[in-house]
Amino acid sequence: MQAEVEVAGLGWASAGGIGRGRRPGGFLREAGPLPAIRRKDVFSTPFPRFGRLDEFSRIGLAAISLALRDADLDNWQEKRPYALIAASVYGCLATDARYFATVLPAGGREASPNLFAYTLPNSFLGEAAIRFGLSGPACVLNDPAGAGLTALVLAMSMVAGGEAGAAVAGVCDVARPVFLGPDGRPDRPGAVFLVLRPAGNRQDFLARLGLDGRGGVLLRGDRVADMESLVAGILHLPGAGPHGQRLTVIS
Amino acid sequence: MNEVALVAAQAITALGDSLEATWNGLLAGASAIRPLKRFDTAGYVSAVAACIDVLDDGAPSSRVHPLLDRLLQGFPPVPADAALITASTKWGIDGLERTLRREGRPPSTDMLAAGFPLEVGRRLGLARPGYNVSAACASSTIALGQAAARIAAGDAEVVLVCCLDIVSEFVFSGFSALSGLAAGPCRPFDKGRDGLSLGEGAAALLLMSRQRARRLGMPVLATIPGWGVAGDAHHITAPARDGCGLAQAIRAALLRAKLAPAAICGINAHGTGTVYNDLMELTAFAAVFGDRVLPLHSVKGAIGHTLGAAGGIEAAIAIKSLATGKLPPTTGFATAEDGVAGLVSAQALPFSGDILLATNSGFGGINAALIFERGQDAHAG
Repeated sequence: MQAEVEVAGLGWASAGGIGRGRRPGGFLREAGPLPAIRRKDVFSTPFPRFGRLDEFSRIGLAAISLALRDADLDNWQEKRPYALIAASVYGCLATDARYFATVLPAGGREASPNLFAYTLPNSFLGEAAIRFGLSGPACVLNDPAGAGLTALVLAMSMVAGGEAGAAVAGVCDVARPVFLGPDGRPDRPGAVFLVLRPAGNRQDFLARLGLDGRGGVLLRGDRVADMESLVAGILHLPGAGPHGQRLTVIS
Repeated sequence: MNEVALVAAQAITALGDSLEATWNGLLAGASAIRPLKRFDTAGYVSAVAACIDVLDDGAPSSRVHPLLDRLLQGFPPVPADAALITASTKWGIDGLERTLRREGRPPSTDMLAAGFPLEVGRRLGLARPGYNVSAACASSTIALGQAAARIAAGDAEVVLVCCLDIVSEFVFSGFSALSGLAAGPCRPFDKGRDGLSLGEGAAALLLMSRQRARRLGMPVLATIPGWGVAGDAHHITAPARDGCGLAQAIRAALLRAKLAPAAICGINAHGTGTVYNDLMELTAFAAVFGDRVLPLHSVKGAIGHTLGAAGGIEAAIAIKSLATGKLPPTTGFATAEDGVAGLVSAQALPFSGDILLATNSGFGGINAALIFERGQDAHAG
C-alpha cells in the first residue's frame, strides 16, 4: 500500500439530510429532492450570498463547510494552501439551463451575469476557497465512471506527495436534468466531502486511507467500490440502506 | 522522479488547421478574430470572435465532433495503455442550446463534459478510462500538470492530454453580460485594451516518461520539469489585484523544477486583453521576477480566448518557441502601458535559452503555471 492520508473531517448534503462525521445522525444518499439548506444549519457566521447561489453550488458548499467544521478547520486567519477537488457527473448543467433561459428572450440582452458566473462547475470551489481561505489547487473532474473516487485519488496523491498541505475532496451532483431524459440508473443527488491531511501521530482522525497503486482507495486494507461505501465504512454503518438497497453513487 | 517528455503535439485553431499552420499564422502577425456569422450578435457588446467556420457545415450534433476529428486526424499512434486526461469548460454546450431552443433534435449527452474522455477513448481504443478537468480557463494547464505529476511519480508511463472548447452563444452572451468582451479584436497588454475576444480550438499533447519515449523511439520535443496550481481565494470572476495566486503557482512550478526565477527565458502569458487580467499577470510576474526584462507574449489577439483549450494550445506553441528561439508577436498589441515597455511586442521576440514559462488563470480565482524545457529533438524546421 502506498502512502496513507488521514480523514480529518467529513460532511454531506443529500436527500436524506445534512450531516458530518463527528455528529451522530447517520449518512444516507438516496433518491429524492435535495433539502432546502439554510445558511445557519451550515455556517457559523453570516453568509448573505449563500441563499442566492444555484443549487449545485449550495449543496457542494454546504458539504465542504460541514467537512471543514468536522475537522475544526472552518475558522481561519491566514490563507491555507489546501486543495479543493470535486468529482461530478452532471456538473452545473442544471444551472446552465437556468442561465440560458435568460439568454433566449430579447436576443441575449437580458442574459444574467450573476447566473453566468456559476455556469462553470468549479465556481463553487471558488466560493469555498474565498469563504475558508483555501489557496491550493482546485478543479472539478468529470468522471464518466461515476464511482466518485477520482477526486479522492487525486487529492490523496497531492497530499501524500506534498503538493498540498491538506485537501478537501469529494463528489457533488444535483439530480439528473429532466431534459436529458432517464438513463435507467438510480438518481441519488448529493454532495459528500472529506478533509484529508498527511498521516501523522495525531489520534483525532476518522479513518486512514491508502492507495493501492492501481487507482483504488483502501480503507482498513480493503478496496472500496464507491464513495458511499467509503463513507459507510468510515462511519461504521452497515453496508445496506434502510430499505435493503445497496448505497451506490449515481453513475 | 521520472523525467516528463512531451513527444507529440497538435493544435487546431481558427488561424490554422494544424500546429504548423497556427504557428506560421502567429509569426505573420495574422488574426483570426472576425465578424461572427454563427449567431445573431445584435444584443451583445461585441460582434467578433475567432471561429473555425468549417465546423458550421452541417455538424451532426455538436461542433465538438468535427473539431475532434480534425484534431486527432494524423496524430501519432497513442499506446493503448496511455492514461487519458481531457480538458474542456463546456464541451458540447451547443447541444444544450439546441435542446432549450427546441430545435427538434433529441437531447444529446454531448452537453456532459464526461463525454469528452469517453469519445477520445473510444476513437483511439484506449484501455484505461479517463476523466475531464474542468477548472475554467486553466483547465488544460492543470490537466498537463496532472499528467506530468503522474508520469513523474511513476503512476503512468504515457498520458494523452486533449483539450477543446468551441465558440457558443451560451458563453459569448455571458461574457457580454459581464462586460468582459472587447468591442473589436482584443489587444492583450495594450494600454487601450478593453476586454477579451472568444475563440475556439483544440490541442492534443502526448506525454511520456523519458524511458518510454526512448524505447518507442519518440522524439523529445520538450520536457516539463515543473508545474504549479494555486487559488486567489479572492473573487469568483475577478482576479486578485496583487496576483497572489498566480505568483504562488509560478513559485510552486519553479520549486518543483528546482529552478531559480533567473532560469526562465520567456513567458507565454494568459494575456486575455481584459484590463484586470493583464494587469494582474504583470503584477504577479514582477513579484516573482523583479525588475528583470523578461520577454512575454499572448496569442489571444490572434486566435481568441479558447477557454479550456487555451493552456494546451499555448503549450503546443511553447514547443515551437523553444524549437525556434522566438516568441510569436502579440497580435493586437500596439501601445505599451506603464511597466510593459520592452516586455511585449507586436513583432516576434527572439529569446536566448531553453526554458519557458506558460501561465493561465480563470474564474473561481484559479491559476496554473507550467515550465517547459527545450527537448533534444526540438528542431526549428
